[in-house]
Amino acid sequence: MSYVLRSLVVAVSLLLLAGCSTSATDATDATDAPDEQGIRVALQFPPRAAYAFDADDGALLTKLGVAEPLVGLDPQGNPVPGLATSWAREGDGRTWRFALRDGVVFHDGARLDSAAVVTALNWVLSRPSPPRSIADLGMRVAADGPGAVRVSTDAPDPVLPLRLSSGTTSVLSPAAYAAGAQPSPQDTGTGPLRMTEIRGTQGATLRRHDAYWGPPAASSQVTVDYVTEPQTRELALRSGDVGFTEGLPETSRASLQGDPDVRFSEYPSARTVLLQLNGSAAPFDDVRVRRAVTAALDRNVLADQVLGGSAAPAADLFGPAVPYGATTAPPAADVPAARALLAEAGYGPQNALRVRLWTFPNRPELPVLASAIAAQLQPAGIAVDITLGDYAAQEPELLAGRFDMFINSRSYLSDFPDPAGVLDSDYTCDGSYNIDRYCSSAFDASVAGLGAVEDPVQRAEVFRAAAATLTADAVNVPLVHPQNTAAERGVTGFTPDPLDLRPVLPTLAPAPVE
Amino acid sequence: MKPTVLAALVVLAVIGVVDWPTEAVDFADRLAPPSSAHPLGTDQLGRDVLARVLGGVRYSLGLGLLALAVAVAVGTASGLASGWWPRHPLARGTQALVDVLVALPALLVGLVVAAVLGSGLTAALFAIVATGWAPFARQAHRLTVAVRGEDWVLAATALGAGPARVLGHHVLPAVASPLLASVAARFAGTVLTLAGLSFLGLGVQPPTPEWGAMLAEGRTYVFVAPWLVVAPAAALVASTVALGWIAQTRRTCCATR
Amino acid sequence: MLAVALRRLLWIPPVLLVTSVAVFVLPRLLGGEVTRSVVRARSASSTPDPATEERLERELGLDRPVATQYLDWLVGAVRGDLGTSFTTRSPVGPEILAAAGVSLVLAALALTIALAVGVPLGALAAGRPDGTADRATRWGGAVALAVPEFVLGPVLVLVVAVGAGWLPALGWGSPQEAVLPVLTLAVWPAALVARLVRAETAEVLGHPSVRTAQAKGLSPRRTLLVHVVPRALTSVVAGAGPFLGGTLGGAVVVEVVFAVPGLGRSLAEAVGDRDLPVIQAGLVLVVAVALLAALVTELAQMAADPRLRP
Repeated sequence: MSYVLRSLVVAVSLLLLAGCSTSATDATDATDAPDEQGIRVALQFPPRAAYAFDADDGALLTKLGVAEPLVGLDPQGNPVPGLATSWAREGDGRTWRFALRDGVVFHDGARLDSAAVVTALNWVLSRPSPPRSIADLGMRVAADGPGAVRVSTDAPDPVLPLRLSSGTTSVLSPAAYAAGAQPSPQDTGTGPLRMTEIRGTQGATLRRHDAYWGPPAASSQVTVDYVTEPQTRELALRSGDVGFTEGLPETSRASLQGDPDVRFSEYPSARTVLLQLNGSAAPFDDVRVRRAVTAALDRNVLADQVLGGSAAPAADLFGPAVPYGATTAPPAADVPAARALLAEAGYGPQNALRVRLWTFPNRPELPVLASAIAAQLQPAGIAVDITLGDYAAQEPELLAGRFDMFINSRSYLSDFPDPAGVLDSDYTCDGSYNIDRYCSSAFDASVAGLGAVEDPVQRAEVFRAAAATLTADAVNVPLVHPQNTAAERGVTGFTPDPLDLRPVLPTLAPAPVE
Repeated sequence: MKPTVLAALVVLAVIGVVDWPTEAVDFADRLAPPSSAHPLGTDQLGRDVLARVLGGVRYSLGLGLLALAVAVAVGTASGLASGWWPRHPLARGTQALVDVLVALPALLVGLVVAAVLGSGLTAALFAIVATGWAPFARQAHRLTVAVRGEDWVLAATALGAGPARVLGHHVLPAVASPLLASVAARFAGTVLTLAGLSFLGLGVQPPTPEWGAMLAEGRTYVFVAPWLVVAPAAALVASTVALGWIAQTRRTCCATR
Repeated sequence: MLAVALRRLLWIPPVLLVTSVAVFVLPRLLGGEVTRSVVRARSASSTPDPATEERLERELGLDRPVATQYLDWLVGAVRGDLGTSFTTRSPVGPEILAAAGVSLVLAALALTIALAVGVPLGALAAGRPDGTADRATRWGGAVALAVPEFVLGPVLVLVVAVGAGWLPALGWGSPQEAVLPVLTLAVWPAALVARLVRAETAEVLGHPSVRTAQAKGLSPRRTLLVHVVPRALTSVVAGAGPFLGGTLGGAVVVEVVFAVPGLGRSLAEAVGDRDLPVIQAGLVLVVAVALLAALVTELAQMAADPRLRP
């Protein structure tokens, strides 16, 4: 019997050994240098709906440099020529005329003309849920000769060109729409990179589009892997499997910054983590209690210590990602002032304030912040119970005003660089996402007035004033702005884009070999 | 019961009752490795990991016990009834349901329950009970079928006792001992299922120091603070090994009796 | 026994039908939450808008009576069309089958390793009761049975991927990426197999007929092949219920821990996004597998123990 057993054990060990040795050879294959002109990148967000334009995937196609909208963006978020070279308002202000660029060739060889633009925009407008940038405006698109289109809306819209900078309004070749099904971006875009292969949510292969109208892509080929786990992205970069990745884990910042082979970039994002307060019910219907919460929190500690520097402390709704955001640090905690405000509002040792704080775990920093906030509010005399749950289950309760405190992570630009939509939905009396239940007729009037302000400088002034009002009324507490991160290894050409709306991949190139 | 087992249970009960400082944060001392001040190190908020592991006894083991108790009660009641009236359509239906449920992993059922009820402690306990009662129902059913033909049961019925009285006073005591043995054996599995659901984010939620939830939280920091994974993992494994061992000593003690 | 098998097989379709009704109806009782979750899955920071949700409800066909929706789904399912995913908008059938294929490979590799390791270990342990091998196997087995996949997975990552840097920590696709998930999933069934085989082998070796045969000069190898292995395998199959159930449940955790694109991970994601067509198809498939496993278990038990036959 022992003989049989011994041979069994030997056989099993041989099998295992064989497995190990094959994996060892594969490992060396994987670390081979990428071919001279090509690069490999790991991106964090895979397409959610097969690159559909009525989903966040439209923005992804812009980022990849595959598809382009009529209007481009400069680093400050101002409109610049894209597939359209110029635009102007006409007549009563409800119509804009866009002159199309000459000589634009789709990846399949077709030429860009007004019919292609009309087909593309009408397709996305006809979706059951069109993208936010162009939904609910009564938008109509018509050709004006072969080289121009007219876009009109029900009411005058001062930021229409910016709306058409959204990746969700990109134009694909007429062939993509011919089948009637969802258009595929494979070989149908106009961007500097041509999508030649789609590997579902796993990745895609892009090649340089030689007939591109603008500066050519820096690499002849870009292999894209979508990797949702931050640690996997980091390991892929460290092992040399990919030359560029983004959204790195907080805990690896220090070691990546110290790595001489890696160029690590950290830049602000147009996103704010907010402590939202229910202003429609006690205790937070009292502005003194809201101010007490603001005073009791030390946002510098939250950002630098609790989140290990992976976020910047927030002084207002907008941060350093946009020109109208605050760039100064928020004040440090003032616990005596918080106690005084609470006492004024009738809360103290005899009548202790106890509230419930909700948040959701999909973004790992939120539960950590919840515990830290509970700890920071305690010395001021506010006891906090934390409930973590599904966002989907919490949202109806939040919107109905059945909560005390809620930590939310909110992007204040939606598809195009203008926060008017978020100010309207989140802070006006009838806003559809007014979680704080803030209602001020003066504020509503200033947001409504934006409909007539076209000058970007004046708009920025209104945004700055709106954020100041929200801070003064202590509507909620902007806690931190998460920092975006990216890292290159053997690759150059990455330009940080705080708006997260501009092309990223076309400028990436293999680093010259020394 | 052996004195060592008894002592271990008493120690666990005491740990479970004490209020450990599980929420005491120290932002300046986050992710600190084990030291004399913090024998198991600190977590991402500077909380003492040892305090949280000890505080987790109440949740990981206590809630497991609670879920198990409900599952045993439901399973036994249903098994007694279906075993007493085995030809009743309801009993046949229950048996068919039990056959399906014993084959379904509790974690998958937990996913379904989460889809319907949302995630959270109640949903997790419900999911555990929803599958956990089935093995007890099957066992109680078989035991009841085996004893219902015995003379003393027939005698009790002949003397005019109603089914409730016969089941409660005569059948239940007869089937209780083997059922109790399997309760001990299944405790460890229940604790692991609860921890697994919490690990997947479907059960106990942070900041509650349940071991599965702690493990899920600590996983983000595994590269810089491995003790955040090691400590709750060790607590969980030690408890389940110990529970398995207790179940075995119980079985040997009862087999020899 | 054939009759029993047939009767039980005939039971499976009605049970699946009931299951499909349950998984179809229950989430739909949630109402508006489904469309809202789908909108958010498609574009993350969108705000609630009743008009959009109404249009989406029409697009997804959720505005029709639940009974109509169900019958449509059932007719499609019988023809092999399981509908379209709410979030990815691709057909559910191929998506689920691809995911199930990954899970199948994962589970099959793990079970193969479990048998390859568990059977010899169990037999070795039984060969000399209370010997070193026996005690080591018993203690190791007790620990292995107590260590859940969600503990073993992160610990293996810590030791093998982080500490030693030998293998990738996460992912699925290359052989070396498969090592850690498969090992994690294999440990529990291996311990179970070893325990079952040990008990069975000890019993067979202690049986008077085997002792007589051995006394008459039956070689140890023949004893093992003729008497021990068939019995041991039968007992393993008879234990297949908890075995497969545990492996299915463990596979969910392993897939989540190691980012393996299998059925468990798809289901977990679909639950998060309220992607009802994926949830329905995935759960019906899982229940079907569980039912088949239960059937195999029962038949094997009958084969092993004639008293259970009706």
